[in-house]
Amino acid sequence: MTVIGERVPRSDGRAKVSGEAVYGVDHSEPGMIWGALLRSPVSSGRISRLDTSAAAAMPGVHAVVTAADAPDVRAGWVIKDQRLFARDVVVYEGQPIAAVAADTLEQARAAVAAIELEIDPRPAVVDLEQAMAPDAPLVHPDWESFVPTAGPDFPRRGNIAAESISDPPGVDEAFARAHRVITDEFVAQRQYQAYIEPKSAVGIYREGRYVIHTASQFPFNVRDRVAQFLDVRPSDVRVIGHTIGGGFGAKLDASLEPYAALLSRAAGGLAVKLVNTRTEDLLTCTCRENAITRVRSALDADGNIIAREFEVIADNGAFSGEMPWLTSIALHCARGVYRTGPTRVIARLVYTNTAPTGAFRGVNGTYLYHAVERHMDHIAAELGVDRREYRLRHLFADGEELLNGQVLHDAGILRKAFDAVDAIAPWEKLQAERRPYRGIGIAAAWWLTNPMPGTAVVKLSDDGTVVVVTAATDNGSGAVSMGVTQIVAERLGIPPSDVRVTMPDTDVAGFDAGSQGSRTTRIVGKASEIAADEVIEKVKAVAATMLEAAPEDLEVAEGTVRVKGAPGNAVSLGEVAVVATNTVGPIQGTGSFVTPFPEFNPGCATGLMLPSFPTPTYHVHLAEVEVDPVTGNVRVLRYVVAQEVGKVISPDGTYGQVAGGVTQGIGYALHESLRIGEDGRYRERTLESYRLPLAPDVPRVEFVPLEHPDPDGPGGAKGVGEGPVLLPAAVIANAVSDAIGKPLNSIPITPEEVLAAIQS
Amino acid sequence: MEMELRTVDSLDAALDVLADRGADCQVLAGGTDVMIQLARGEIAPAVLLHVENVPELQGVSANGATRIGSLVTHRALAKGLLGPRYRALAEAAGTVGGLQTQSVGTLGGNVCNASPAADTLPALLVHDAQVALRGRAGSRTVPLEEFVVGRRATTRRPDELLTEIVLATPPECTGDVYLKVGRRSAMEVAIVGLAMRLTFDGDDVTDARIALAAVGPRPLRSPAAEAALIGSRLEPRAIETAVDAVLRDISPIDDLRGSADYRRRVVPGLLERAAGICAQRAGRTPEHEE
Amino acid sequence: MEVSFTVNGKPTQVEIDPAETLLSTLRDRLRLTGTKEGCSEGECGACTVLVDGRPVDSCIYATGAAAGRAVETVEGMARDELGRALQEAFVAAGGVQCGFCTPGFVTTLVSVLRENEHPSEDELRTALAGNICRCTGYSQILDAVAATVAGRAAR
Repeated sequence: MTVIGERVPRSDGRAKVSGEAVYGVDHSEPGMIWGALLRSPVSSGRISRLDTSAAAAMPGVHAVVTAADAPDVRAGWVIKDQRLFARDVVVYEGQPIAAVAADTLEQARAAVAAIELEIDPRPAVVDLEQAMAPDAPLVHPDWESFVPTAGPDFPRRGNIAAESISDPPGVDEAFARAHRVITDEFVAQRQYQAYIEPKSAVGIYREGRYVIHTASQFPFNVRDRVAQFLDVRPSDVRVIGHTIGGGFGAKLDASLEPYAALLSRAAGGLAVKLVNTRTEDLLTCTCRENAITRVRSALDADGNIIAREFEVIADNGAFSGEMPWLTSIALHCARGVYRTGPTRVIARLVYTNTAPTGAFRGVNGTYLYHAVERHMDHIAAELGVDRREYRLRHLFADGEELLNGQVLHDAGILRKAFDAVDAIAPWEKLQAERRPYRGIGIAAAWWLTNPMPGTAVVKLSDDGTVVVVTAATDNGSGAVSMGVTQIVAERLGIPPSDVRVTMPDTDVAGFDAGSQGSRTTRIVGKASEIAADEVIEKVKAVAATMLEAAPEDLEVAEGTVRVKGAPGNAVSLGEVAVVATNTVGPIQGTGSFVTPFPEFNPGCATGLMLPSFPTPTYHVHLAEVEVDPVTGNVRVLRYVVAQEVGKVISPDGTYGQVAGGVTQGIGYALHESLRIGEDGRYRERTLESYRLPLAPDVPRVEFVPLEHPDPDGPGGAKGVGEGPVLLPAAVIANAVSDAIGKPLNSIPITPEEVLAAIQS
Repeated sequence: MEMELRTVDSLDAALDVLADRGADCQVLAGGTDVMIQLARGEIAPAVLLHVENVPELQGVSANGATRIGSLVTHRALAKGLLGPRYRALAEAAGTVGGLQTQSVGTLGGNVCNASPAADTLPALLVHDAQVALRGRAGSRTVPLEEFVVGRRATTRRPDELLTEIVLATPPECTGDVYLKVGRRSAMEVAIVGLAMRLTFDGDDVTDARIALAAVGPRPLRSPAAEAALIGSRLEPRAIETAVDAVLRDISPIDDLRGSADYRRRVVPGLLERAAGICAQRAGRTPEHEE
Repeated sequence: MEVSFTVNGKPTQVEIDPAETLLSTLRDRLRLTGTKEGCSEGECGACTVLVDGRPVDSCIYATGAAAGRAVETVEGMARDELGRALQEAFVAAGGVQCGFCTPGFVTTLVSVLRENEHPSEDELRTALAGNICRCTGYSQILDAVAATVAGRAAR
């Protein structure tokens, strides 16, 4: 029996469709009370008055806490720049200033409203260029005192929270002799992850430890952050995960958890629950950052790109989170998948008085590829050549050496991806059949599979089923409920329905780096495979005695251990488990896996914190759009994806990631505006104005998987989840620009811009 | 004092409550606007008067005029309850939120909420809609454009209940349409809403009604634009004149959903598109249905 | 105030605040947490329940208005033949990822399919405009409906 590549129903499907699944927001504890946060209404100011005495006296209130009640420390994923509560100054709208715990949510909110707060507004640093100016007001005057969480310090100064620069020789010389120089600037807005389940946390202070219940994508990270904020050892914090109603990166770092923990302690150990309202969640979510990207290419007389300059200015918001680590992604994407000669890359991450930004599926890549691919269309237009053909001429091939010295041994897959798209959506035919106000766009990308470690223990139960103990999380992708489940089932020769994977518990399971970077099926699948192999070894050793055969003559299949070639000579796994328990001990196996970073040249850039892209994947997308010349609305008629996945473990899971990622990308490209006012406050603040793509807005995605198995991946799997969101903004912008004959260089593209361009 | 929710099951009972407590009352039907406003603290009535069970507010009758009970839902209208002569209203009702909103949201509620962007209002205006109001003191019928007087403002007196909306019967050879401009395909508050009704004698336009939403504090008709189309054959010159008239009559603003500039830019194309659809629906042109 | 209605066929009496939402009553008082709160403003549809067969956003529906009516939630769908078929089809078609929107989709679709046994894909997309899914991109959900319709036609 093989289940790899088969359509296996997800193990949590039944609970989800029936309403039985318990999400983070559904979790409750006996005697639980409710918390609410006082959040700054302005983006920059000095707190001149904070009086909680009236609030503390209100009905049902158990505790009110502020900075004075929290340890005087800073916390952070990459650099410790963040306090739990604003102390003297507020630096973004929504920043927590105080927290209340009360019997009911209504009482907690009423008490929050009764806290007397006065803030003297200060000018908000919002504009990215201005923020970088030498005389700009500092978002954090004490930035020099910030300490990196681990490892050495990295290039940063003033409002520049992180900087990565790669400046190889030959760039200026090439520009000097260029036949033509093409210059572009692109602006991208933020994107809100908008998972349908708002963030929540339940904190319980008990026996000197903090226990947190939360729907987190990365429980170990939440544990570390809570420990930092509350100035305790990580092992003094226990994080228990629950079904997650979407995360897309926003639930990787702690948000409400430290407050729930602190409130519980302040309330004498009562469990305290915090849930964000949708507006609260939107305003304070670590959204995908807004960015300005500038690209300059030097072309020779034949139209080859002989050098490039690539500059990115990304908005950090008021605190760093994971962002500094991601800054050097610009280096890996500056050329896209095309040869460009020596390339100078300058990437800066800038503090502003806005909500901290953070990880959203396809980190940094969505606007970087938009820039690169819009620029390629621009070059092709200048040269009067076909856009697809131009790309193919300069496309990476096997053995391509990258700017960081990494070698892409299999970049030739890109050409296959272009061919695969062409097979179902022939470029020439689409061009020939163009009608007014219809356009097509094409773009390509390469991406990583996050390599960070994962651990699993596989325990054999005495009924022949297994439990996989892991802190891995399934934020909906099916990586655990299908991917890991199928991999373990396959290895042990048992049906997927006999594999149970635990919810994360940092006390019980080993470290897992969370559902991010498309890593879970691969890393946790592999760790589980290794653990399953240990189980098999032990099972064979015990069964050998029971069957009077040599272990090497045995195999596991169909829920049994049997003699190869003599399937009648078998015992069930359950029987083996029972015998083992009473002799050598209960059977379990352990596995862990991490992917080493591909070799790179450490001297290629400063601030190179993400040095290379492990387990590369390749992507080509094509979109056909129709523009309404009366309103400027854009309809996506057709969307085609060719994606290298290594091996399809779960067909539904894989397609689901592609369709879902593309849909998020379509939202990013066309519908989702998240504008920041001059005062640093968001203009869009609810789901009425922050428009998510709806069922009538998106086409069915046509998907061609390419499978070149990775020898190290379980079943050959590579990461799947992020790739699909990288290119929609690029291909749709290319298609719309093609449709109206005018370049559009912003994310999102609004009907207003389209209509103004058409009518100009 | 805590708020009270009172459910009544007859018109008389409703009018009694309104006679006593009208000033403190918020009428509640489907609640899709009221419940949001309540949660946001935009309204704080002492009494929520729940009227969904009042039979006199249900149903549609058509003898002479078309009378629509104020509790008729958007969903019922969207499904074509009023038949092929009132397509604008069906189209407008079909864009008020999604299925969940339309299933319980009512025409009366949409009218009384009087949002500047209300979809049903332009469609009602092009059919000379009148609203019937009842109170203990008596009843009256008011033209819709005199009932909705500004942003979220109507002339309903606190003791009155809106019981029916009355539409004129369109003449023969009439076509109508509602076009809505929004960012997505659905769930949009109109950036611009345009309703049009045209009557033809041969190829000549003998009657024209044009109404817009989201371009001023309340939805409005443009009599000058209408005059420009009457007597024409919808030739480009007439359309242009109508467009100019509309642009003079409207006062769009920059808001979260769109700029005044954009709202003006869509008017010409929208008006032309609407005229074409009306002509086609009146049986004037042989092109395919849109 | 006290309110009586049926929930999934079961007569229910509950003490509520006058302006309380049906969502809050279901989740907090009746402990039926299958219906979800996604936005509290009638935008996302995660809170959809059926009231006398009509799909409503329970986050903006007054419980008081449900008096005497029949409320159906996702918890009751398994006992409904169409509901059960739909639930199974969702899992089989890959129409569930994080699943937070799923209860709202199931109840909405039950009401749609009760009224129209053979909706076209376009009609379905329009009918589902008030249900946001952030994970799937909708196509596998539409596949689930198609499978449900086909399955019922076959029988």
